[in-house]
Parts: sequence; C-alpha cells; structure tokens
Amino acid sequence: MKEFEYEPSADMGLTPRERLKSVHREAGLVATFMHRLWWAFVRVYLRVWHRARVEGRENLPTQLPFVLIANHTSHLDTMLLAAYMPGRLRDKVFPIAAGDTFFAKTWTSIFAALCLNALPVWRKKVGSHALSALRERLVDECCGYILFPEGTRTRDGKLTKFKPGLGMLLAGTDVPVIPCHLDGAFEALPAGKRFPRPRRLVLRVGKPIQFADIANERTGWNHVAETTQSAVSELGVPFTSAAT
Amino acid sequence: MSALGRLFSWGNAFEHPVTVGIVAAVSGVLVLAPLLILVVNKLARPEAKLKRELWLRYLSWVVLAPAIALPILAGPGWTVVAVTALGLLCYAEFARATGLFREKLLSAIVVLGILAVNFAALDNWYAFFVALFPLCVGAIAVGTIFLDRPKGYIQRVALALLGFTLFGAALAHLSMFAHDANYRPILLLLFFAVELNDIFAFCVGKPLGRHKLAPNTSPGKTVEGSIGALILTTTLTAVLGHFVFKSTAFDTWPLLVLLGVTISVLGQLGDLTLSSIKRDLGIKDMASTIPGHGGVLDRFNSMLLVAPAVFHLANYVLPAVAHGQPQRVITGG
Repeated sequence: MKEFEYEPSADMGLTPRERLKSVHREAGLVATFMHRLWWAFVRVYLRVWHRARVEGRENLPTQLPFVLIANHTSHLDTMLLAAYMPGRLRDKVFPIAAGDTFFAKTWTSIFAALCLNALPVWRKKVGSHALSALRERLVDECCGYILFPEGTRTRDGKLTKFKPGLGMLLAGTDVPVIPCHLDGAFEALPAGKRFPRPRRLVLRVGKPIQFADIANERTGWNHVAETTQSAVSELGVPFTSAAT
Repeated sequence: MSALGRLFSWGNAFEHPVTVGIVAAVSGVLVLAPLLILVVNKLARPEAKLKRELWLRYLSWVVLAPAIALPILAGPGWTVVAVTALGLLCYAEFARATGLFREKLLSAIVVLGILAVNFAALDNWYAFFVALFPLCVGAIAVGTIFLDRPKGYIQRVALALLGFTLFGAALAHLSMFAHDANYRPILLLLFFAVELNDIFAFCVGKPLGRHKLAPNTSPGKTVEGSIGALILTTTLTAVLGHFVFKSTAFDTWPLLVLLGVTISVLGQLGDLTLSSIKRDLGIKDMASTIPGHGGVLDRFNSMLLVAPAVFHLANYVLPAVAHGQPQRVITGG
C-alpha cells in the first residue's frame, strides 16, 4: 500500500462535466460508493437472471496493473467481465467504453462514470496519440482496463479481427493482458435488442500474456492483436465444439 | 405550529426590515448590473477576455445569490440543509485539491462528522454540537489506525482534521444561528458583509493599493485595500447591525463596531488561509465549479472563520441565540 500522496487529483481544473469525460478522472467518495453499489447489484443480477458461471477464476487478476480483454457480442459483456473484480481494486478498474455511445450525452456520461467507472475512447479519433493518455495512466498509475479489441459488438456472434489499439496500450510494457471468452451474451442481449433474455452466461478466463519485449510500433501492435485474438479464440473452442 | 414544522416554514420571511432591505438591494444590483456592464463595455472597451469574465461572474451571481438567500428565507431547516451542502462541497474540493480524497475511510469519517455537527445544529442540541468537535477529532485520529499504514499518518490525519474543522465544525455555526428568532437578517447580513468585504478590498486596493499585504501568499492583495475593506465593512455592518439587533444588549456602538471588525478581519484572514493552501499546492483555483469564480470554496472561503467567531460573539452577548428556541427538536429529551 502506498503512503499518503500530497497531490491534487489528476482531473483538477476541469468542470464537473469535463471531468466525467476525462481519461484522468479519479473517483471521489460518492463515485466509490456508487461503484460498490452498482457492481454489487450487477453480481446479484448476473447470478439470478443469467445463472452466470466463471471458469478459470484463478486467472482473474488480484493486483494492478492489468488489461482484461474478451470477445464483444453484447452490452452484457462489460458487466460480466467487471463484476468479479475484487472490491479493493474497484476504483482503479476502468471499462474502456465507446465515447460516442456512452459519453455523448450528460446523463449517459454520469451513468458511465459514476456506476461503471468507464473511461471513454473516441472511435473516430483512435490513433497512437489518442491512446497515449490511456497507456500513460495504465503504466504510471497502475490501474486495470477492461476492453474489447474488436472495437464494436459483433453483429453475427462470430469473433471479428482485433484492432491494433490494444497493441498501442501494451507493446513494450510489463502489463499482463488476460484473455477471456464470453458465451451466452449474444443470445441474451445482441446488438439492437433492448431487454436481456434469461440465458446462461459463461465467462472463461485464460492465462495472462505479457508483451514486454514487443516493439511499440505498427508491427508490434499487429503482433499483440494477432496473439491476443488467437488466445481469445482458443478459449472459445469448447463453446464452439459443444455447439456443433 | 410544531417545533419541527417551524424548521421548514417560510413563516414571516420578510418580517424584518433588514431582510427586506438586503434582498431588495441585492435584487436591484442583479437587475441593474447588466446595464452597468454594458456601459463599462461601451466606455472602457475592455479586452474580450475581461468582457467574458465580467459576464460569467455576473451570471454566476444570478445563480449564487438566490442559492444563498432562498434557503435562509425558506426556514431554519432549509438553512441547515444548505449549510450542510456547502460544507460537503467545500470539503470535496479541499480533498480533491490536497489528495486527501484518495483516503476513502478517512474522508468518509470527515463527511460523517460534517453531517453530524449539522444534524446537532438542526436538532438545536447545543451540548451535542459542542461535544462533536472533540469526538470527531478523536474519530479522525483513530479511524484509520487499523489500516496499519503508519507511513503518511500525520499528513493525512492533519489534513482531515483541518478539513473537518473548517468545513464541518466552523461552518456549521451558521446552522446553529438558524435557531435564533432573528436568524434571517443576521445570516443575510453576514453573507452580505462578507461578500462586500471582498469587493471593498478590491475596489479600494485597485486604485489606491501601493503596499503588498502578503505577496507570496496572495500577490493581488494590498494593505490599502485591506484597511479600506476594514473601514467600509465595519461601517456597513455597524449600521445594519444596529437595525438587526435593535433594543437588545448587542445594540451598542462598541459591540457593533467589534462585530464589523470581526467580520472584516476574519473574512480577509479566511481568504488568506485558502490562498496559503492553494499556493502550497501550486494551484490557482480549488475547482472549476462556478464559472468566473473557480470553486465553491474560492467563493465562500471568507465565511469559514467568520461563522464561528460571530456566532460566539453573539451568543456571549445574547445567550438566547442558541438557547431561546425549543431544544432537541428531533431527538426529544
């Protein structure tokens, strides 16, 4: 545990509205309370409505930093991935959410910031510069990110190509990435549907991978994308074979 | 009307002439200020940035003035609610600026302390209100011992104590005032005088200021501005105070002048206290909550030391301030 840090919050000087959208946002007492409340509710919801199950729970991170990734089929994915984080890490675990979906309006920004603890990434502006602030925070401040390298929800349930953005965050760092595979979320709440059906959700957690020796440039980013995509894909094999 | 009902009742909100006078004066200024700004813009042609700043400040006051006056007019209970909200907002800004907000348990204890002192004030339970200061200090000192992190203990506990003292214990004296039968003109006079004190210092210091007051702490403040504010605020407070405290033991010129000096000197010292904190942290404003003003704390820092001092001065001369109304309105006993 760190000793007392005598320094202003990283989002100092921003107006309350700007703070909601800032990647430097730090949780205060109200946000901490809301995060705890929201994720406790989500855990109960997942257990009761979706009979959620976690396989490979021992691989779930217990310390920072880390990046948790998975296939993206539904809005339920973030709920399932973030719900099982230890409470003491809660304020430092940030789902990375699409800015244009979650942070365009003030009331969705309040929900995304206060309940989910999400940080925005603006899909139209994704470049190494746009991600540098997120990378800096991940490494310097030691936090956890939950993200979906496909960039958007699949429309047919199949895994699509991972984008190189994940590599821009991870290449050349010691931060472990934990590949996961989610099953059932597409059937429960695919893109375009409003209410979730009570389908069982299964989260399979894989072994962490590190990319410390990978160069932080385009070939390295592609390597990270390919490696993590095959790791996620492999975790999904039992589901696919069971289905066929 | 029951004692509890009285807490949240408008009653005869405009019974006292000073209440009417201050509300009318502030409303008048807010109505006329746009014209004045337009004239200044026409004659002096200030830079676009200064123009924008003037309008931002004005618009912020359009929101701030009713936010201060309405709870006071609406009843003692609403006054306590507003003071509690003010204390919590000030603490939130202080905690974010100093880094104390990362200490969740300690911050939670301070917040509970702020809620508790204001509850004691709402209840009109003066003995508990007084007891809560040492009790909360104790709770803050021991509250995080079992986290077993002695490293940094002094910094975080000292910061939490300062936060609770200023934004809880000190500010809650405004809540305690709300039980006086005459609380509306008293509190409106306090806010009016404290805010004008800042404006007087600026208006006198700008043309006449030659000697810096504390250049390292607050480079803009001058000795001349400070003395000007002292004379003008004392005069204003003594005159208005004469009408507020008419035919009570307080209505003597030495006491009224003492009241004015207390408000002016402690108002300026409260401002300098916050300036010291900001200088130490290397920040200009505590937050960006109020456009044109900075944070809530930047606007209300002058009230922090004034509230307890004036309360105890009034309570010393007129014991009825804390004891004239029904005690323990909510808890009974």
